[in-house]
Amino acid sequence: MSIRIAAINKSFGKFSALRDIDLEIRPGELLALLGPSGSGKTTLLRIIAGLESPDDGPARIEFDGIDVTTQSAYERKAGFVFQHYALFQHMNVFENIAFGLRVRPKKVRPPEEAIAKRVHELLELIRLVPFAKRFPSQLSGGQRQRVALARALAIAPQILLLDEPFGALDARVRLELCQWLRAFHDETKITSLFVTHDQEEAFRLADRVVIFGEGRIRQIGTPEHVRTAPADDFVRNFLGFGEDMHPGAIV
Amino acid sequence: MSAVVPLTIAPVKPSALRTNAARTEPPLIRWTLIGLAIAFIVLVLIFPLLTIFHEAFSKGWAGLRTAYSDPGTLESIHLTLTVAAIAVPFNALFGLAAAWLITRFDFRGKRFLEVLIDLPIWISPVVGGLVFLLLFGRQGLFGPWLIDHGIKIAFALPGLVLGTVFVTFPYIARNLIPLMESQGRGEEEAAISLGARGWQVFLLVTLPRVKWALLYGLVLCNARAMGEFGAVTVLAGNVRGLTSTMPLQVENLYNDYHLAAAFALASLLTLLGIVTLILKTFIEWRTRRDLAAAVAEDDSLSEPTP
Repeated sequence: MSIRIAAINKSFGKFSALRDIDLEIRPGELLALLGPSGSGKTTLLRIIAGLESPDDGPARIEFDGIDVTTQSAYERKAGFVFQHYALFQHMNVFENIAFGLRVRPKKVRPPEEAIAKRVHELLELIRLVPFAKRFPSQLSGGQRQRVALARALAIAPQILLLDEPFGALDARVRLELCQWLRAFHDETKITSLFVTHDQEEAFRLADRVVIFGEGRIRQIGTPEHVRTAPADDFVRNFLGFGEDMHPGAIV
Repeated sequence: MSAVVPLTIAPVKPSALRTNAARTEPPLIRWTLIGLAIAFIVLVLIFPLLTIFHEAFSKGWAGLRTAYSDPGTLESIHLTLTVAAIAVPFNALFGLAAAWLITRFDFRGKRFLEVLIDLPIWISPVVGGLVFLLLFGRQGLFGPWLIDHGIKIAFALPGLVLGTVFVTFPYIARNLIPLMESQGRGEEEAAISLGARGWQVFLLVTLPRVKWALLYGLVLCNARAMGEFGAVTVLAGNVRGLTSTMPLQVENLYNDYHLAAAFALASLLTLLGIVTLILKTFIEWRTRRDLAAAVAEDDSLSEPTP
């Protein structure tokens, strides 16, 4: 699915979180929203999901050419993976993953066996079949992350939105999950956006990288392109090669 | 430098490890304070409690049976249960709505609303009853109009309910707000993004997560509702057989020198209090677990071994 975003503004009180955001995401693309904290990338992700609404104005969000700007989050059905997973603490892993199927209106709700089958498939995908009866508090960080992913995938979303998906994990698990996500994306080609402040993660995973700074998009391009031709001083500084960082400067 | 000098550690007496002399009062002061505390508890808590049951049983089981076959007493029990059955669900509904509003939305006047919810705790129930009397009484602001239309609030059941609702207003909201605040909106947002409607989010996510805190509030609210005296005396007037709830009936019996009967009814109220206390302690233990879980969820993002 393709996503088109136009003229998005968002302010919280006097703080302007997003300014005039225009962005097009191609079908099947894996896109990274990269930027320092407070640069507006998570806010944009939440606006795409419908968890936050843009300020009044000409703002427009299209999924496959269909205007979804006024649709609520539950109508948009974007798969969303939260930074701290937000797993349902009072439900076990199975019920967490089944949730999106169970809350469907009766007419389109799959029968119990179909739900169980789907959940089992997802448990196999994330390699957590023996953990179906466990509660989130009994899982490690990496396992929780995978459950959150499976839960989002259960509703067969057209887009997958991930907010700092690996931010809270240690280096080894982070690398593993990164590789897994890339492989998963190559297989399913589901249009995916993920937010990160870690440029290495963004460059390693994404087809294209969108660099945010102070609520604006500073540059959009492939990892190659962004690295070799930073658009302005902000990007150059953020990526770590500021003016005083010439190779010759340190002797 | 010369050879390594071995570190010597002075031996420590085990007893010195257990009590830090600098932080402990001399035994005399310690035991005087503990003794005073115990004496006080016995005098103001245990002794009166025992007296109630002693007096209630002063005429044996037969006396108790006569006390509870008095129609006025039976009516007062019925009335108290009726009032609680209306006031408690009402406040549960209001408490849930208020807690949800306060913890899930930002709006102008939010702090003011929070303070307002607490108001009945700070105001004397008698004053609360008086205010409603000034509004709905015969000489009150809306009273004459209401009475003309056949609605009687003061000195009737609606007055009892109104006074009780006012007094027990804060209990449920006050218990839910801190828990819901610490739990945050994450899980609710997750539910919405998975396609859940508002009512599904509430029933499947919000409510199960606060059920123990809600129950705790219900128990406190109920105990307070059944024991309310001040506001309902003023507003409903302790009309015998009509607006005499259990606490008011205790006073009626006492004033009529039916001491044994008064204490018999009082012992029932006391039992209610004790049961509440036991329930409260149990639920407190459960809510603390919920709260700890909510906090732990934020902290436990490191990687324990599976």
